[in-house]
Amino acid sequence: MVVILMLVGCFGSSQNKQLLFGFNDIPQSVLINPSTVLDNDYYVGFPLLSHIHAGVGSSGISAFDLFADDGRDFNDKLRQVIFQLDRSDFFMATQQVDIFSGGFAFGRGIEKDRYLSFGMYLESDAIAYHPKDYAILAYEGNATNIGRIFDVSDLNVSGEVVSVLHVGLTKKMNNKLTLGGRGKIYSSVFNVTSTQNRGSFTTQEGQNNLLIHTFNLDFTYNSSGIASLIDDENTDISNDIKTLRKRLLFGGNLGLGLDFGFTYQPSEQWTIEGSLLDVGFIRHTKDLETYTVNGQYVYEGINPLFPVVPDDQTAEDYWNDVADNFEELFEIDTTATKYTTWRPTKLNAAVRYRFGKKLSKDCNCYADDGGYLNAVGAQLFAIRRPRAPQIALTAFYYRRMFEGLQLKATYTLDSFSFTNVGLGVSTDIGPVNLYVLADNILEYQNLAKAQSLSLQFGLNLVFRNSP
Amino acid sequence: MLDSKLNYIACCFILLLTCIACVKDVDFDQAEDLTLTPIVAASVVYTDVPASRFSENGVEIQVVRDSIANIELFTEQFVIDNLVRTDLVFEATNSISREFEVDVEFLDDADTLLDSFTFNAFPSILTNDVVTETVEIYENERLEALKQTTKMVLTLRLLPSTDGSSLNENSTGRIILKSKGLFYLNVSA
Repeated sequence: MVVILMLVGCFGSSQNKQLLFGFNDIPQSVLINPSTVLDNDYYVGFPLLSHIHAGVGSSGISAFDLFADDGRDFNDKLRQVIFQLDRSDFFMATQQVDIFSGGFAFGRGIEKDRYLSFGMYLESDAIAYHPKDYAILAYEGNATNIGRIFDVSDLNVSGEVVSVLHVGLTKKMNNKLTLGGRGKIYSSVFNVTSTQNRGSFTTQEGQNNLLIHTFNLDFTYNSSGIASLIDDENTDISNDIKTLRKRLLFGGNLGLGLDFGFTYQPSEQWTIEGSLLDVGFIRHTKDLETYTVNGQYVYEGINPLFPVVPDDQTAEDYWNDVADNFEELFEIDTTATKYTTWRPTKLNAAVRYRFGKKLSKDCNCYADDGGYLNAVGAQLFAIRRPRAPQIALTAFYYRRMFEGLQLKATYTLDSFSFTNVGLGVSTDIGPVNLYVLADNILEYQNLAKAQSLSLQFGLNLVFRNSP
Repeated sequence: MLDSKLNYIACCFILLLTCIACVKDVDFDQAEDLTLTPIVAASVVYTDVPASRFSENGVEIQVVRDSIANIELFTEQFVIDNLVRTDLVFEATNSISREFEVDVEFLDDADTLLDSFTFNAFPSILTNDVVTETVEIYENERLEALKQTTKMVLTLRLLPSTDGSSLNENSTGRIILKSKGLFYLNVSA
């Protein structure tokens, strides 16, 4: 079972980090909103362990729908899935691992009003829309789909592995407002993009012949960082690892990005916050591979001319023309072209109400935030995707159980399900901060039925000077 | 004391997640059963021959013929492996007052006849369109013969008239041929 959990983890989940957002006991919450005021004076993440996030999601189906051991014919189930899913349904996977991270509070005077956080992480992200028309064409062919417009743009996939070096600053402007920003340098390890496809293929009842086929194809596939790894002669994987290591440290295709955030506290109990993450791009100029198919052609068949003198001029010429036209139509242009990809920009927003002060005789341990033990609120998440943004709404309850143990529970509505209940725990054992955040916990009884899963955990050393 | 309690709670939470997490009642090996059975429809040949084409210098021409060579479709490995049936659909629309025989022949590179079929386009009465349709089904050995094909010959043969008349430059009507192929594929994982 653990192995399966890890496997699911490897394929990564939804990019929404609804549990981490605003959970300021966990240092990595500052990556979700650079204006989040962390509940520590300085911290160091355990290298490679400070933040591990993995998630998978599928908007239309779960693995169970296709692979259920129910005795039904697999091809029947596949057929059902192909037709049931919409072209806007998608499959996605994401994964993030902190390589290192740290941060500290500073500022003039007793009250440190600034916090600098920095680190480097490796992020993988992939999304593929359901290529419905391609699937129908492969499954049924065109014979039973006379008149149907097969849409070339139904193929829409992108995937990348990026290392991100970042430095962010959080600054308290006054008692009510905190602002934050983070600069990022991206180094792309791989990128695969085919999101700008256009055109169609149709078969209709013809005039001159029984059928007329219309091809209008405009297809582009771009990749960077893959050609050199696949095409190289050596079979020694250690060379590839060396190449990859270089790319992690700015040897890849580079890009720049910014995060912004604000936290506004109009009263002691109310907080409004928002952030915009990964407003940035990567320019792909090295190790490129491009495939384009571009052309229009209308085919009705071969027209024999019945020449007057046999064996002089035949339909062969016509046929040769047809063959040439088809060759030209499907000719793959492989001229490598430089391209730019935009990062999947994310928006987070929250409104939070805190209540229930701790009744303590000896000290007010949570002086920073007025000593409230509970918080409830709502969060909004949106991420830019190739076709349309994905949006999620979350209601949450946060509770400080006792010193060193905090819980957050979430209920999320998103493209994947309306029953996503998440639970997160952050615990401090001495200076060691350990957190585990898991969503869709209702689905853990049978992961195969889950349409999305995400799991995050991390280990940090957190230091608080003030009591 | 407190630390161990926290430890305990955190561990319990992680344990709980991993213990209740499981994948039940699924069989991923089913993917091996994947079979795609698309039917590809494609236009083949078409032609539109006026009655006057069957006369030259006042003499009736009984046979017109044309051929298509260098057909590479059937020699593609994908087709050899996955094509399990082919239906050829021919439709003749005749508005000439004479009956035609249409021959369709398939040959290989050495001009060996691999397969052929003939159908009749019945004569028109009062220049009305007479539509004749024929469907040839290729399976098993017949399909294997078709898969050797690199050349197709199409012959229009004018049958003798019942009243002794012959076609000339001023004869009305036309014979129209249309065709399509239905290619049944069976692609297994």
